[in-house]
Order: sequence, then structure tokens, then C-alpha cells
Amino acid sequence: MTGEEIQKVFMILLEYLVPTLKIFGFTLIYSIPLGMIVALLKMCKFKPISWLTNVYILIMRGTPLMLQIIVAFYAIPTLKSSPNTPAVIANMLSGVNIQGEDYMFNAVLFAFVLNYAAYFAEIFRGGIESIPKGQYEAAAALSLTKTQTFFRIILPQVVKRVIPASANEVITLVKDTSLANVVAYAEITLKAKQQMQNYSSLTPLFIAGAFYFVLAMVLTVLSSIIEKKLNYYK
Amino acid sequence: MKKTMFKRIIATAFAAAMLSLACGCGEAAQAPQTATGEDNSLQNVLDSGKFVLGLDATFKPMGYTDDNDEIVGFDIDVAQEVCNRMGVELVKQPINWDTKEEDLNAGRIDCIWNGMSVNPSRAEQMNLSDPYMKNAMVFAVPADSEAKTMADLNGKIIGVQNGSTAQEILEGSEIAGTITVQAMATNIEALQQMELGIVDAVFLDSVVANYEITSMGKDYVVLPDGLEEEEYAIGFRKNDQKLRDEVQKILSEMKADGTLGEISTKWFGSDITTVK
Repeated sequence: MTGEEIQKVFMILLEYLVPTLKIFGFTLIYSIPLGMIVALLKMCKFKPISWLTNVYILIMRGTPLMLQIIVAFYAIPTLKSSPNTPAVIANMLSGVNIQGEDYMFNAVLFAFVLNYAAYFAEIFRGGIESIPKGQYEAAAALSLTKTQTFFRIILPQVVKRVIPASANEVITLVKDTSLANVVAYAEITLKAKQQMQNYSSLTPLFIAGAFYFVLAMVLTVLSSIIEKKLNYYK
Repeated sequence: MKKTMFKRIIATAFAAAMLSLACGCGEAAQAPQTATGEDNSLQNVLDSGKFVLGLDATFKPMGYTDDNDEIVGFDIDVAQEVCNRMGVELVKQPINWDTKEEDLNAGRIDCIWNGMSVNPSRAEQMNLSDPYMKNAMVFAVPADSEAKTMADLNGKIIGVQNGSTAQEILEGSEIAGTITVQAMATNIEALQQMELGIVDAVFLDSVVANYEITSMGKDYVVLPDGLEEEEYAIGFRKNDQKLRDEVQKILSEMKADGTLGEISTKWFGSDITTVK
């Protein structure tokens, strides 16, 4: 490929950086809070809830994200088009426009959020459980309430401890957004694959790789800055 | 006690998951659309004013994405003309080729039109148009390869596109036992591997092979003897007979008045369509 062609591909991929970042950003916005909730549910004293959470985490971590995206994407169209679908569900789904761009984005995002929430939940749970029992006892001795203990004593230490593992997930997420191309969600990898065929060359894929690399590098720098900022209790 | 209850919950959850999966698959295999069995396919397209064409947008020169990120190709030009004559808008919907049947049956697209080769399983799952073009399956080898005919490929590694009819034909052929088949995601990757010497030859559509050699200036040679001729057709939903017939009728009209020949000449240098 000539320099001019590479530049053209670069510009196309640059345009589709937006849908890639949309999946990335919204997944983080939803999956981190959801992950915290899941972590707390898993540690719930009422066992059935803890078990159900375990099943959810097991399924999300035990099946490929690519498969989850396909299931999330085809579930509603399949239900809509099947004559065996109960009328109640069919009516509920009748308003969904499965050909719209929004539908595709939402279905893909749904899969990403559920998947990443499971991973974040385990990271957060590990963080919470890594705090020694003695601190709870000390807090109780100082007559702090349970809520006060969690938010004032435990959480600040947990945040600090889960940053490296979370950063790992976040960087993985940038690259995982490329999986959205299995349902032809128009993002960097799908466009690179199309241009690869257009120019009969692998170069567009390498250009896409450079995009992911730069994104990962930015995130790595960010995470080390955050780690330094949270360098308290030393 | 606790243990058994835990097990029971797990088992129930699994059973439910499996059941829903099984239902999902069963439904997808059926051709759905109207529960009453009436065929409103043509009317639906005319009413909505949109004809949604599904393609994977990477099959050059049939339907692909060009330098400016526009979907173009021989199939697209023909479909555009068909839509003009039907008075509807052509919507080009990129899909993943691996799940094209799901997209079609679920109603995300009205047809699959992307140089799709006819094979028995597709003929069973879809309502295919009459074939509109012939396509030979050929072996491409590097120009300096010692293989001059198919017989020379004995013991060699042959690259092929995964999930393509080329793969089916090659694996079902009489030479399958004497060669090693290596399946890759795309023809381009297969050809790239051939350039690097990872595979010795690539088995692919002559349309693609000739395009690579003539238009992209690649240093390949097509072996004189191929395996089989196949044909391209448009795939509709099983029940969409009226829509299929309408498109077929317009294609025949286009063949008769020379429009189809013109489009074919633009992409292939001559009229190679087989529409009657």
C-alpha cells in the first residue's frame, strides 16, 4: 500500500474510533457500579442471593464474550420473528426497531456491561476481603457503625488495592471492543477488515492495531497516575 | 443439606439455560414471518419503501467497501437498479457472513445478495433466486510455483476461506486425502499466507483470483484445471415467494433491455451474467 492509501485508511479508522470509544466508555460507566453491586450481592449473608450471583458470574466468565454478544444481539429478533413467542412478550417487543442503529449499539453494550461487571465484581470482592478482620474489630471498638466502618475505613483502602487489577481489565476492554464486529457493529476492526479486502492487503489491520496500542498506552499512563495519586496510608 | 440445595439450584439454573438455548436454536431454524402463512413480503417492502440488502461488504468485486468507505460492487449496482424499478430505497446492511441466516430469518434484512454461492444447505434454508452468474473454483499458486496442474498439488498445503463453499468443495473432493486443507478467515489472509510460503496454494472463486491478478497486479497463476463450477444466487426468506419473484422478474427485464449486460461490462469487461 502507498502512503496515500494508508492515510486514507487511517482517516476512515479515525472516524470509527468514536463507536469504539462509545462501547468502551459506556461499558465502564455501567459495569463498574454494577460490579460493585454484584460484589456486595455475592458477599450477601442471605445465601440464595449469593448463590444466584455466583451462577451469574460463572456464566459470564465461563462463556466467550463473543458468544454473549451474539446471544444478546439475536435474542430479541429471534423472539420477535418466532410464532411460538407468548403474546405478552411479543407485544413488549413490538416497539423495538431491530434494524435501527440504536438497537445494535444497545444489544452490544448490554453484553459488554454484563460481562465486565462480573469481572469487576470479583476484583472488588477480592479487594474488600483483603482488608484484615482486625480493622472491623478496631472500628467496632471505637463505636463506629457498620456503614461508617465500610465507607470511612474499608472503602478508601479497597479503592487503592483494586486499581492495578481494574486497570488491567480496562486495558483489556479497549481491545475487547473489537469483538463487537461479530454482529457487524461498525467499529475500527470491522472497518479495517473491510479495507483489508478492498486493498487486498493486511496493512489496514496493522493500522487498527496501532489505534488499540495508542489507546492502551494512554490508559496505562492514566492508571499509573491514578495509582500515584492514591498513594496514601503508606 | 446445604450442599444438596446448592446443587439443586445450580441444576435448575442450568436446565433453564439449556432449555432457553434449545428453544432459541429451534426457532431460528424455522422460517418465521407471518404466523398466518400469508405472503406479504413484497407488500411489506413496498409499504416501508425500503429493501434491506444484507452483505458482509468484503467480497470484491461483488459487494465490498471501497477507499471512501462506501459499499459498492457489481451486486450493489444491480440491486440499486432493481430498487429503482421497484420504486423503493436500497438499504445496504453489513452483516457477519457467519450468521447471515439468523439475520435473514429474524427479519433484520430482506435478502442476502453478496456473490453467494448456491449449495444444497443454502437451497434448503433459503428461497434462492435463479442463479445470476457462474463462478469456477480455481487454485491460485505463486507465479514461480512448481505446481503446474492440479495433480502437482499432491501432498501440498492448500489455503481456503473458512465457511466458504470453496472449503466444502475442497474437503469433499477426491484430492482431499492427498492434501492438507488450512482454513483461514478470509481469502486475502489465505493469499497472504501463500505469499509467505505458509501454504502452497489457495483454492478460491475465480472471480476473486482473476480480480487479484488483473486489478491488483498480484504475481499469482491460476492452475488450468479447477474442481467445480458453482453459481451465485440471491437468498430470500423461505416464505417470501412474492418478493423473490418480483426481484427475479426485474432481473429478467434488465437482462432483456441490456442494463444487466452494461453493469456486468463495467465490472468484468463483458456480460458474464446467466439470468434468463
